[in-house]
Amino acid sequence: MMQRRYRSILDLKIKESAKALAISDSELACKLTAMGVLPGTMVELVRHSPFGSAYYVKVDGIRFALRAEEAASILLEV
Amino acid sequence: MSEKPVKPLKIALIGNPNSGKSTVFNQLTGLRQKTGNFPGVTVDLKEGNIRLSNGEEAVIIDFPGTYSVYPTSSDEKLVAAVLANPADAFFPDVIVYVADVTNLEKHLLLLTQLLDLGMPVILALNMSDTADTMGIKVNVSKISDEFDVPVVLVSGRTGSNINKLTAEIEKLLKNPVTWKKRPIYRLNETEKQVAETVCLNLDVDNNYRALQLAHHHKWLPFLKDNERAVLATIVQTKDFQLLRSQVDETLDRYDRFTPIVQDTIQKPPLFPNTPTDRIDAILTNKWLGPIIFFAVMMLLFQAIFDWSEYPMTWIEDLFSGLNDVILTTFPTNWFTELLTDGVLAGLAGIMVFVPQIAILFLLVTILEEVGYMARVVFMFDKFMRRFGMNGRSVVALIGGSACAVPAIMSSRTIGNWKERLITILVTPFISCSARIPVYLVLIGLAVPKVKVFWFLSAQTLVFGAMYLLGVVAALASGWVMKRWFRKKETSFLAIELPVYRMPYWKNVWLTLWEKVSAFVLGAGKIILIVSIALWALSRFGPGTAIETARVEASIKADSLHLDSVHTKDYISQRELEASWAGQMGKFIEPAIRPLGYDWKIGIALLTSFAAREVFTGTLAVLYNMGSSESEINDRSDNAAKATLRDKLRREKFRDTGGPVYSLATALSLLVFYALAMQCMSTLAVVRRETGSWKWPTIQFFFMSGLAYLCAWVVYVLFS
Repeated sequence: MMQRRYRSILDLKIKESAKALAISDSELACKLTAMGVLPGTMVELVRHSPFGSAYYVKVDGIRFALRAEEAASILLEV
Repeated sequence: MSEKPVKPLKIALIGNPNSGKSTVFNQLTGLRQKTGNFPGVTVDLKEGNIRLSNGEEAVIIDFPGTYSVYPTSSDEKLVAAVLANPADAFFPDVIVYVADVTNLEKHLLLLTQLLDLGMPVILALNMSDTADTMGIKVNVSKISDEFDVPVVLVSGRTGSNINKLTAEIEKLLKNPVTWKKRPIYRLNETEKQVAETVCLNLDVDNNYRALQLAHHHKWLPFLKDNERAVLATIVQTKDFQLLRSQVDETLDRYDRFTPIVQDTIQKPPLFPNTPTDRIDAILTNKWLGPIIFFAVMMLLFQAIFDWSEYPMTWIEDLFSGLNDVILTTFPTNWFTELLTDGVLAGLAGIMVFVPQIAILFLLVTILEEVGYMARVVFMFDKFMRRFGMNGRSVVALIGGSACAVPAIMSSRTIGNWKERLITILVTPFISCSARIPVYLVLIGLAVPKVKVFWFLSAQTLVFGAMYLLGVVAALASGWVMKRWFRKKETSFLAIELPVYRMPYWKNVWLTLWEKVSAFVLGAGKIILIVSIALWALSRFGPGTAIETARVEASIKADSLHLDSVHTKDYISQRELEASWAGQMGKFIEPAIRPLGYDWKIGIALLTSFAAREVFTGTLAVLYNMGSSESEINDRSDNAAKATLRDKLRREKFRDTGGPVYSLATALSLLVFYALAMQCMSTLAVVRRETGSWKWPTIQFFFMSGLAYLCAWVVYVLFS
């Protein structure tokens, strides 16, 4: 297996945080950066949504709800 | 974009969602505000007036909350389109940029973009009260120096410094400086070439605005075809990568203003476990979250019915009192009838729903103000997406159980057009309060009064099943439409979950006032017109048909030796039969016969088209009830309903002689009334929200077609 250079919020455990490095999808990057999810900030996974597929995260103390695709696009430091 | 007369001075209120913008707007304008209804625009903008010290009036426009000039929803597109077009009717003379001072590091992106567009801007740092309690120190004059804009530290909640803000607005209106030591963001080589070429070809004088035209050339509504073609060519020949450039620009802007924020704002360290975190640990918990949500919804549902009972009775009493006054003081002629049966009946039909709508909006606005709705969106997004909708749709569907009209208006918060459209189209399937009287009469007729379980009667079960049928129909049609509407548009969840706050009551009351008056004036107009038309249709007939029917009926009544009350009813029934409405009922009888309905039910169906609650009243008149419509509508008068039921039970088909109201017919009618689109006000509001008659037309035929089909299946199965 090739070693992975990135992981995403989907790989985080609850209450685990990691530094965001980049956002892979440019359309999502446009939306997320405008909202303040920036490369270099710490992203913490707070909890999963009741029906799955959505993530409650904290970025720089601000709370966001993200869909799986949105969460997966944020590349985190291993 | 709009045919509004040009106002001399326009002030735009712009800021991120959750910046407390609307609170500042309410402070600046108070009750002197209205929701504009601008032709061709799906997003409503709120406008208010302020009076300047020289007596001049200026208009304040509240723009939707926006993060950036690179839009991802129709709300944000509107802002970008206005700012890109100085000829736009909404293009402001001055912008008040509202930012949350407790979160300033995330709230300045759009400010720097506005400054680069060369707009005269005042920066209003909002929530100074929260900043004080959090111990945040703000160096206002330094921020003002760094960005070279006037800065006012305000609190929308306490009203602190609002007069200072007004003074700054006035100063800037008199002398609209645009600061020349810009731009904040320096265009890269490609962007510069693109911007300069656009400036040359399209006569634009600001490089950043020129760049905006290139970025948005595909959708900006005001561009002419040749301009769009020129822009497309420029983008292509310069190999301008739109999204890439937008992201790079955004990141560069953050790099420029973040140090300024760090220099001017002193924040105590963040607590890891704030009250919001503790509340969310319960309210958005994987298991407890949905349970609490359903409990909240049950409470809301209960409140809508319980709290509205008394005010609804008062309104009904008020109108029946007015009715009596008019009947006794005015001579009996067609004009008095028009007043009572047309205008008053129509007005009562509107006003009686006001308590339910007000309570629904009160509670939903409180949930919104507190910050709970964003959590509902988070919890139910996945579930609703299976049915082509969005987490936000839950709010609209729940609201639909009171009345579809305000519920459909609440769907505006859904960014993705396809998801919003599906929500608008399926919300009327949810059983609204107007269906309740219809259900009561028909269930009483068809379902025996037996206990199924130790406390549940069969009638209660069927009543509950009718609600379930509505929910299932809404979700199932959403599921179908999701596959039917092929248009692929990026859909986002990405939503900020704001810090929980106590509701700000002034916002709540103003929102309530705005929604209720929008319902009364907007949808109410339609109900009024239709009920007057219905009155005319049932009052007049072709030629002398009504007069002939009256004479014949009185002769017949004489020969049958009916007493005076029955004679009157018999005559009015024959008159109705001869009227245009009666003719129409007979005309459609062949079409509804497969469902088990006769021409009299046909009339009821036709009169129910405008508003389904007319059903019981129409039947009362048609089936020779010997009582006025108001008695039947009075929900406390069960005796009247029982009599109607008895009469209905005895009805026979003219040709076969079989009973009209068999179990099959009653169930078929129930299903029909649960699914059919029988509400002019809903259609009117759908037209308003979607901007054309296309969608209400589709909705009408889709819902009514489905109702016909299901009613037919039910009739065949049970007969």
